[in-house]
Amino acid sequence: MSIISENTVYFIIAVAIIAILLVWAYVTKRMQKDFSTLTWVLIPVAIAINVAVGQIVVTLKLPVYLDSIGTVLVAVVAGPWAGALTGTLSNIIWGATIDPNAFPWFPVAFFIGLVSGLMANAGWFKSWWKVVVTGFVVALTSAIVSTPIAVYLYGGITASGSSFITAYLLQTGQGVVQAVLSTGFLVEPVDKIATAMLAFAIIQGLSKRFVARFPRPENAEVEGTASQTQLIIAVVIVILLVLFAVFLLGNIIGG
Amino acid sequence: MPERLSFYKKQDSVLHRLNPLSKLTIALGIIFISFLTPFYWAPHLLIIFVIIPLSYLGKVMRDYFKAMLRLILPAAGFLFIMQALFQPFEGSELFRIGFLHPTQESVRFAFGNATRIFVMVSSFTIFLLTTHPSELMTDLTRRGLPGQFAYVIISTLQIIPQMQAKAQTIIAAQRSRGLDTESSFFRRAGAIVPLVGPLVFGSLVEVEERAIAIESRGFTSTHIKTSLHDIPDTTADKLIRWMFIVFIILSLVSRIWLS
Repeated sequence: MSIISENTVYFIIAVAIIAILLVWAYVTKRMQKDFSTLTWVLIPVAIAINVAVGQIVVTLKLPVYLDSIGTVLVAVVAGPWAGALTGTLSNIIWGATIDPNAFPWFPVAFFIGLVSGLMANAGWFKSWWKVVVTGFVVALTSAIVSTPIAVYLYGGITASGSSFITAYLLQTGQGVVQAVLSTGFLVEPVDKIATAMLAFAIIQGLSKRFVARFPRPENAEVEGTASQTQLIIAVVIVILLVLFAVFLLGNIIGG
Repeated sequence: MPERLSFYKKQDSVLHRLNPLSKLTIALGIIFISFLTPFYWAPHLLIIFVIIPLSYLGKVMRDYFKAMLRLILPAAGFLFIMQALFQPFEGSELFRIGFLHPTQESVRFAFGNATRIFVMVSSFTIFLLTTHPSELMTDLTRRGLPGQFAYVIISTLQIIPQMQAKAQTIIAAQRSRGLDTESSFFRRAGAIVPLVGPLVFGSLVEVEERAIAIESRGFTSTHIKTSLHDIPDTTADKLIRWMFIVFIILSLVSRIWLS
């Protein structure tokens, strides 16, 4: 019982930090600047992109979801709060029209939008290798945020396919939280890095005049031109990140 | 491709006539009670004595059972089996197949968990079956929700089917040009770009025109807008809302007290 109350304290602290950030962004008018009419119009289109691309991927039978490309797109050109709103509404609408099982996961989508927006604001969406890093950070965030939902709402094993990994880790004698978190670290990076790279490709394909009309066009400027070298750097970084994740996992399992 | 834009089922029932916010309170109230209650059998009793009668009251029992068979039971059933088999609880073993050894405790835990998920999804489903999305949005806007949110929700519901139709057209068109969408993994992964590209660029082009169109209709105007439809909010509605808030607080208090 004492462990649960300790986690409750962490939960309340996390919610309080987000609430303070929200109020700060609202009071200092940073948020209002991002929500122009064009942003409000882009959000529904981005949600529809999330849904439609998610379904195309299902048609192609690929082992990823790619259901947050629109969210990342909005987060880059219109800031973290617009991205967070897109993610949240996207999940709510997915729940209301396709599958009510999607509702409880909306905080994950919120953080995907928020974190990719913050990364883009910090200049981490300007070349291939930086986008890969952004995708990896988003993946870590989404693994961490989805863990408490999976543990407290579903008791650790959820109704998705990757639960078999969680179930295996539980059988090897790990705690529920570690098992769910390790599964997230294993499954998320591929999906989120692919999402970030596709969103980057889409933004590069848009005309400069169009992107310039959004609140944060500077986030999408490309630096450097040698795309071949950049791609090689990106691949190397992916391999390093995967090795890092395996190393982390080994530590978690060992300890 | 059959389109299911929303779950809403048009009927004339007590539940349909309730204020949308009251229905939302009922749905969320049922969920909170089932997750907060300290009594093991409370969610099961909720299904029998609240959720099924509610679906009957709303004249959506058939649709509810259809949704249950299609969406809720598979998910809850999968959850139950996985958790019963894999949750490592100590206790009296029921049987043993290889390394699987479900115990009485793990089955009990899995059953409780699956039922709570069942209650959660069921109560959302009944809410969606009896509430039209634009009605809910109108009511919430009247209560102070910014109009932009209502715009986003309603227009998304309109855009998604268009977008899905467009995606199907693009898939068919690219296939007829010889795009490989069914063979090896790398071919299929490579097919993403020619499918996603046209879809996304095509839909983003419309964004600018849409922005100008809604701006010219006073989208960002701060004046209070009037509504053509009047959504009733009776004393009974207010009573129901307060009742469910009290229920939630009661179950939270009993949870803290009894643990």
